[in-house]
Amino acid sequence: MKIGVFICHCGSNIAGTVDCVKVAKNAEAFPDVAYSTDNMYMCSEPGQDHIVEMVKKHDLDGVVVASCSPRMHEPTFRRAVERAGLNKYMFEMANIREHVSWIGKDKDANTNKASELVRMAVEKLRRNAPLFSKKFETIKKVLVVGAGVAGIQAALDCADAGLQVVLVEREPAIGGKMAKLDKTFPTVDCSSCILGPKMVDVSQHPNITLYTLSEVEKVSGYVGNFSVNIKRRAPYVDFSKCTGCGACMEKCPAKKTPDRFNEFMGPTTAINIPFPQAIPKKATINPQYCRKLTEGKCGICAKICPTGAINYEMKDEVITEEVGAIVAATGYDLMDWKSNYGEYGGGRYPDVITSLQYERLLSAAGPTGGHILRPSDGREPKKVAFICCVGSRDRSIGRPYCSGFCCMYTAKQAVLTKDHIPDSQSYVFYMDIRAPGKLYDEFTRRAIEEYGTEYIRGRVSAIQPDGKGQYIVRAADTLLGKPVEVAVDLVVLAVGVEGAKGSGKLAETLHISYDNFGFFLESHIKLRPVETNTAGVFLAGSCQGAKDIPSSVAQGSGAAAKVIGLLSKPKLESDPQISNVNIKRCVGCGKCVDVCPFQAITKENIRGEIKAQVIEAVCQGCGLCAATCPQGAIQLSHFTDNQILAEVNALCQC
Amino acid sequence: MKLAYYPGCSGMGTSAEYERSTRAVCKALGIELQDLPDWSCCGSTPAHATDAVLSAALSARNLTIAAKTMAQSGATKFTTPCPSCLLNLKTARHHMAEPEFRAKVDAILDEPCPPIGQKGEEPLPDTYSVLQLLVEDYGLENIKSKVKTPLKGLKIAPYYGCLLSRPPKIMQFDDPENPTSMDRLLEALGAEVVPFPLKTECCGASMGIPRRDITERLSGRLIETAVRYGADMIAVACPLCHMNLDLRQEQAARAKNAVFDMPVLYFTQLMGIALGLKESDLGLNKLCVSPTQALQKIGKEVSA
Amino acid sequence: MSVLTGKELRIVGFLCNWCSYGGADTAGVARATQPTDLRIIRVPCSGRVNPLFPLKALLSGADGVLVSGCHPRDCHYSAGNFYARRRLELLKEFLPIVGIDPARFHYTWVSASEGPRWKQVVTAFTDRIHKLGPAPKFQDAVPSYDMPDLAPVAPLRNLSCGANPALEDLKKQLKEALSDDHLFCVVGWQKSFDGLHATPLHMRKPEDVDKLIWGPFNVHSTANMIPQLVNDAKAAAMVGVKRGDPIPPAKKIGVVVKGCDGKWLVELLQEKLIDRDAVEIFAMGCNGTVSYDRIIAKIGAGKRIDSVEGNGDTLRVVADGQEYSLSMKDVAQDKCRACTVPNAPVYDHFAGDPVKVSEDAKPEAAAILAYLDGLTLEQRMSFWRGAIERCIRCHACRNACPMCVCREYCVADSREPHWVTQEDTPVNKLFFQLIHALHLAGRCTGCGECNRACPMGVPVGALKLHAARIVRALFDGYQPGTKLEAVPPFLGYEVEEKNIPEHQIEGA
Repeated sequence: MKIGVFICHCGSNIAGTVDCVKVAKNAEAFPDVAYSTDNMYMCSEPGQDHIVEMVKKHDLDGVVVASCSPRMHEPTFRRAVERAGLNKYMFEMANIREHVSWIGKDKDANTNKASELVRMAVEKLRRNAPLFSKKFETIKKVLVVGAGVAGIQAALDCADAGLQVVLVEREPAIGGKMAKLDKTFPTVDCSSCILGPKMVDVSQHPNITLYTLSEVEKVSGYVGNFSVNIKRRAPYVDFSKCTGCGACMEKCPAKKTPDRFNEFMGPTTAINIPFPQAIPKKATINPQYCRKLTEGKCGICAKICPTGAINYEMKDEVITEEVGAIVAATGYDLMDWKSNYGEYGGGRYPDVITSLQYERLLSAAGPTGGHILRPSDGREPKKVAFICCVGSRDRSIGRPYCSGFCCMYTAKQAVLTKDHIPDSQSYVFYMDIRAPGKLYDEFTRRAIEEYGTEYIRGRVSAIQPDGKGQYIVRAADTLLGKPVEVAVDLVVLAVGVEGAKGSGKLAETLHISYDNFGFFLESHIKLRPVETNTAGVFLAGSCQGAKDIPSSVAQGSGAAAKVIGLLSKPKLESDPQISNVNIKRCVGCGKCVDVCPFQAITKENIRGEIKAQVIEAVCQGCGLCAATCPQGAIQLSHFTDNQILAEVNALCQC
Repeated sequence: MKLAYYPGCSGMGTSAEYERSTRAVCKALGIELQDLPDWSCCGSTPAHATDAVLSAALSARNLTIAAKTMAQSGATKFTTPCPSCLLNLKTARHHMAEPEFRAKVDAILDEPCPPIGQKGEEPLPDTYSVLQLLVEDYGLENIKSKVKTPLKGLKIAPYYGCLLSRPPKIMQFDDPENPTSMDRLLEALGAEVVPFPLKTECCGASMGIPRRDITERLSGRLIETAVRYGADMIAVACPLCHMNLDLRQEQAARAKNAVFDMPVLYFTQLMGIALGLKESDLGLNKLCVSPTQALQKIGKEVSA
Repeated sequence: MSVLTGKELRIVGFLCNWCSYGGADTAGVARATQPTDLRIIRVPCSGRVNPLFPLKALLSGADGVLVSGCHPRDCHYSAGNFYARRRLELLKEFLPIVGIDPARFHYTWVSASEGPRWKQVVTAFTDRIHKLGPAPKFQDAVPSYDMPDLAPVAPLRNLSCGANPALEDLKKQLKEALSDDHLFCVVGWQKSFDGLHATPLHMRKPEDVDKLIWGPFNVHSTANMIPQLVNDAKAAAMVGVKRGDPIPPAKKIGVVVKGCDGKWLVELLQEKLIDRDAVEIFAMGCNGTVSYDRIIAKIGAGKRIDSVEGNGDTLRVVADGQEYSLSMKDVAQDKCRACTVPNAPVYDHFAGDPVKVSEDAKPEAAAILAYLDGLTLEQRMSFWRGAIERCIRCHACRNACPMCVCREYCVADSREPHWVTQEDTPVNKLFFQLIHALHLAGRCTGCGECNRACPMGVPVGALKLHAARIVRALFDGYQPGTKLEAVPPFLGYEVEEKNIPEHQIEGA
């Protein structure tokens, strides 16, 4: 084998504290090294060209570059090596910048260390083998989990690009949180007017299959070839017959059913259509409250329904779909403020409500018909306090993060309050105003300057009813440096957000990571924000972290673009740095099968004997199997036992 | 039930009626109180504001006596009616778990304090409020069964004060923001409890001495709110709260430009009434705002 | 290339690509000055770090080894570090038995964003290694040839060598089973060249059953032949089968088992090396077996055994015409003295009554471990340096081990992977024993067959007993071979490990 060694100066970044010439000289003595040199900038065009030239001139079989971190430039040099006509895995990198020149000042020690790292790389390269990607077919269909605005956007973009889309929604109607909003910032345009058409598009798009009242139960397979089990709860209404006329709702006697869509701001009926623009506009029965389903008698809706759509015998069903990619867009839920904020009444005061509940009061389709009326006495409030950061940026209850959009919707709600009740006064208690979006700060200024909203900087320490029907909001005004008390009629809490309920379970089903707050983990927080570390699974919207509507839509489209890009290729190429079974050595014990986190190893009967087999497209290359197999029958390509042993031996030879 | 008992200094003076009614109620319920011999100051306000070690040493001394008293008398728990003493005794025990702090305290004491929690070695006992033991250990059902005159028709605002449940880590009792133990106790006595929102708000505490205006304003607000909630009286569990709400009620009323005439009773006094004890045992005559009129409502039909 | 003498020590790091390697990069980007001793080997995941890599480094001259991965729950591969945590903890606690200071091995979690933490870890670990100084080299250790006189541990129950009245019942069951030809064969024991030794018996016909013996001489395992016999039965069934014909079912293998043979079977079944349907298990309660070494020690070596007879606790041996009366209390094997599983945990047929062991019977620590625990690290290294010199690499220990599943693909005989070389050095010889011991961690039933098989008297069983002791402590008393449905500890994990602490380095 003939190896070329190239030592990079990185200007003075490396050469400042490493004698690069000496490192190159030392490398000449290493086994199989046929050529060794140093260069000012290996990653520059002349640097890369030099590699190509020398490979050809000296007929090299492999290349070692000692420069920066492989996390930085490994792909760059692999391409150069490929241009030189070698297999790109016949390349190793020694990190003599981040791990040597930048962390030590002793030039002798650094030079010695750099030489050793080059030696390790050479020893490993001597045991490298060319690796080749395999190609495999993909299913041109995508599963979108969650039909809020992010999921809807992702579904529509994918469907418009010609992909088949399976859209799964847990609730009876799509639209997510945005469907509950009255107006949106910073333009104060009507939420359902901008979301409604998109929802209709979803229902009418020939490429979209919509499953409401459904949840993803199980996912198996791998990028391009997932198999998904979707559990669909029984709606007790035959959707093919229901016309959405709503006659059943009028007559249903179970009128004390909690209204989930209206954030429990009023009761509804057991059979209902959550809101007038609902998609699908079909009635569903809440089985916990339906008298027929709980007590066995009633059946009024079945009698009243003009099309005979009611069917009390319906059962939950499991649907299996085969898809090539998955977009998780499960959004957020409000954190449990009641058990964390006893000082705000912990839910005991009827006129202390969440901002989502306030949205329903503002909405013309809401329980009060768009009139702001206090839940306690139905009176119109004249003074409204908005409290920001309830469950955000509060380390005392373990919520260190900012929920992102509360500052903006609080300003919007203050503006709308003034619009609804011109002689009202709003107070906003805030920590900092976070308004970094396009037209956002301008909007907040308007709320303050044109709408006379009084912004008070300080955290609220207590909310107490004064016994006369008002609530005393007590806080410290940190700008004036003194305590303030404001008596108000209604208090709206901007409650912090967390990953939607059940997001952890979904993450485990999808084999993706999630944090302590139920948000899914992206592949790279800046550079790969819609990808996950599981190939073929993408993220859109607030399930990845709190996001406002513009960002959710953008990420929905971003995830769609990634899916379209992935599935537009006729075939996918696999990463060849995966595990391989030497079937001669394998005894079929299946220990590798048990530990594989990706179910990438199966047991196959090969000529009457059980042997492990790696599914190439599923294997992610972690090497856990290789560390588990006692006889070394399964090896991780590019990180084989012998390659790592060679590195150890290069360092420790006694 | 036998309890080691630390009356605290207020019980000897300003809250004599609390002390007297506590003893009377416990006797009526069959709870035996074993007084600590030679008890001393718990190290409350003046001491703990200046020197945490000195304050803890005073408490530790009393806890040491309590440990012995319990071992000798067979008392199962250690109690005090005063929340201020309670906090100081509990805090001292909490800090004594740190070896460095304990060493400093032991250096002040004649005899070192026993260790915490080791059974059979006279452990440093934890302290409980009389209210907590009545509600949690003696039991509301038990109390209910002994009620002779249910307080029916009486609307009471329960006021816990700042200390009974706070700081929660040390007090380990009830909800720090919305305690309900006294509510449930008063309900067991047959009274109607109004949803008083300022249960744990500050009464002004000892600010009555340096800054009377603060105490007047804060106490005034408490009484004003109780009035608005239709309370006939306020029930308290703390001598200092009682002083601010009862003794200083006229000052508070003047600050609020109102006449309150709001009786403020210790919960033990109300228990005594319900248990049918003699008025003289309950010290009702010691109250500044006479409860006589309010107490006449007991048993009357409530007009809508 | 060597360590800069007086300046640096040899410290090897294994870092996962996604978190800790990135963390080290982050520290570099922040120009966080660190000691220069550490050399980093990049691996995809801490789960890739076979504990044998750090062990190999430490045996080959590294002064310290550091492994770092993603924080628990943050693994790029979702669970690799959970497995790594169990395996690396085992290694850390295993090291002192051969005299390596466990402080020289550290594993921790550093995320890609934790540059400052990485600097702290490297600085503190390097400081620690410098305080410990250069690691003693195994090959330079002064060999000690002291072999302690190890007193046998007190038996947990009455051991006996008399005839078992249930043997006739067992034979009847065997004959019945063999009469209908569903068994390929049944493995048991028969008398060998003298009355003291037993040899394997393969019963194929009912009349073969008459040769079966049961008693204190049934020392060797019947279980380690089973996987091979299962394959033989499969092969036999294939005779005459043409391409495209359906594969005919193979006959079952019968096996007669004592308690310890039963434990092996449980392990083999649990590791799916044999199918439960492929074996038919004939069990009987065991009253203990003898140690040949102890008998020879009593009667003297090189004697011809004329006759042997057991009665209760007493074993009457006539050798070279002279009669010796021995007590089972003196000559029983150590594993039988400590045995709490005299009856096979899994069986199809059971003859006689099960042997009872008191439930709270707790075996004493093995004498060899008690002895090694009493030595300093330096003395332990000398002990093994001396003991391993005797090893002739015959691999009898491995071949006798019923749990050695690699069979002909043992890493000792392989260059792919090339864990051990053919060089005849003490390090190589010891490393093979350590590999075997770590392969057996969480699986070894403590049978001591490796010790019995060693012709050179190297106490290799001690390494496995030590690993088993660690497993018991870490995993709530886990006993391999007792529960068929148990997940072996190194093939599973808990998100929160109850007994595995987060290790800290002083100063980090």
